[in-house]
Amino acid sequence: MKVIKNSIVLILSLTVFTLQSFQLPKNIQKKVDKEIKLAFEMESFTLESISVSENVNEKLITKITGHNFYKIKQNDSIFGYAFVDKAPSKAAQFDYLVLLDNQLIIKKSKVLIYREEYGGEISSKRWLKQFVGKSAIDQLKYGKDIIAISGATISARSMTLAVNNLFSTLEILQKNNTI
Amino acid sequence: MRQIISFYSLLLVVSITNAQTTQDSINQQINGAQRLMSTNVNSGVTVGGYGEITYNQPENENGEIDVQRLVLLFGYKFNEQVQFITEIEFEHVKEVFVEQAFVNYNVAENFNIRGGLMLVPMGIINEFHEPTTFNGNERPSLDNVIVPTTWREIGFGINGRFSSIDLGYQAYIFNGFKSSFLDENGEIQGLLKGSNGLRSGRQKGIQSTISSPTFAAKFDYYGILGLRLGLSGYVGQTQSENELNNVEGAQIGIVMVGFDARYNYKRFTARGQFIYTSLSDTNLYNNLTGKDLGSALQGWYLEGAYNVLPLSKKQKLIAFTRVEQYDTHASTTGGLSKNDAYNRMDVTTGLSYHIAPGVVVKGDYQFKDNALAGNELKNQLNIGIGVWF
Repeated sequence: MKVIKNSIVLILSLTVFTLQSFQLPKNIQKKVDKEIKLAFEMESFTLESISVSENVNEKLITKITGHNFYKIKQNDSIFGYAFVDKAPSKAAQFDYLVLLDNQLIIKKSKVLIYREEYGGEISSKRWLKQFVGKSAIDQLKYGKDIIAISGATISARSMTLAVNNLFSTLEILQKNNTI
Repeated sequence: MRQIISFYSLLLVVSITNAQTTQDSINQQINGAQRLMSTNVNSGVTVGGYGEITYNQPENENGEIDVQRLVLLFGYKFNEQVQFITEIEFEHVKEVFVEQAFVNYNVAENFNIRGGLMLVPMGIINEFHEPTTFNGNERPSLDNVIVPTTWREIGFGINGRFSSIDLGYQAYIFNGFKSSFLDENGEIQGLLKGSNGLRSGRQKGIQSTISSPTFAAKFDYYGILGLRLGLSGYVGQTQSENELNNVEGAQIGIVMVGFDARYNYKRFTARGQFIYTSLSDTNLYNNLTGKDLGSALQGWYLEGAYNVLPLSKKQKLIAFTRVEQYDTHASTTGGLSKNDAYNRMDVTTGLSYHIAPGVVVKGDYQFKDNALAGNELKNQLNIGIGVWF
């Protein structure tokens, strides 16, 4: 009987997991909330997911999935935006967060989860600080605008590329009046 | 009862399969864009590699053209936390080695357990030796005779980082160098020698003999923008065959410490490394085997480099100079006199032309000297192609 019970529990938990995976995973959501609180110095806020039509999405390098780009709102006014995604490292992927103010200028960037030994230096706060204050008018050049990290080339380049791709996505979204 | 169990097992299998399918399709949606950047990762499979094709031309001698190394990397991610990585190396086309083969278990954020055939973290080049990451066709000589790159053994340990203070750490238990063995005539032979120190004692995970474990650790500090500092240590006894376990001098003790620094600011890069190795019981070892192993090995190098192309260009043309001094007879014991031929100085200068990130054409000239009067070493011109993907 125990086997049956266990199986049912497992089935149920799998079902729940399947449903939940349309949203941000819990551990990521928790980190995102924490970073928003710190960066925007606000205790309560709501996240409103941004969706775009398929037509617009086709033009974007970084696709907007409905669960990677959010408006940060408090009492109906927009304080900023949060973008959460994955980018490749040498042999795995890392999760990162980019917080933008309501003028779409980067307020904070953070590596949420890094999964391999190689390249983990990109989690360094000092290094990530280089993205702060940048916006879509800056196409960032790795090694010039963003100082390189020895021994973490692949991941540091990947993070820079991810931010550049986000910038070009934001530009298109602005043109389409999506944001 | 049995039927019920089978029914639920079946249901379980079906539901897992379903869950996976759903998950996969979601992943595809999420990662559609990244698929363009890296087609590898999402399927769980990573494919990569690096290669070096070189032309070495010593003064007044015939040159050598060689596919020095071709290394293929394969990785497989079993789930979010568990990954297998291997590098298969072809040396000089015909010799096949496994350079790395380990499982990494990401237990918690910034903490991994790792086991298998792994690189020993010592200095810069042993861990970072892809041709686009260093200047010059040949690796620094220090990273040949003192740090025996590519130095890998089977072991296990932990790695991770203290994110808040920008400090990475690695700590492993490894199998050690093999110092002696019995040949077919029952004679004791030594593997370690004066000219290249510990290099010939590497076991590389090939039917290795183990009599005592060794310990390796490295700390990397990267808290200052553009700067990265490393402190490495390695301690332990060498290994020998069963029959030689109690023979005096069949094993020696090793303590190796290394300090390295890498700096980059826009078009300027610099790096340096210092390695000191102290070996104990070398007098007994030399008496037993007839070798000339020194009791201390020491070396350093400094390199400065400048990208002469503007940073707005996609390509880089890097001019560099590296000065190295290394001595595998930094000290000797037991009446063994220092061989000044092992006290060496190399100056390497040249260009690295990065056609694209991952492809480099290198040309450099090496001035070689030693402390021996009158023994002129041949200088050498090196030209080569390197790739990393």
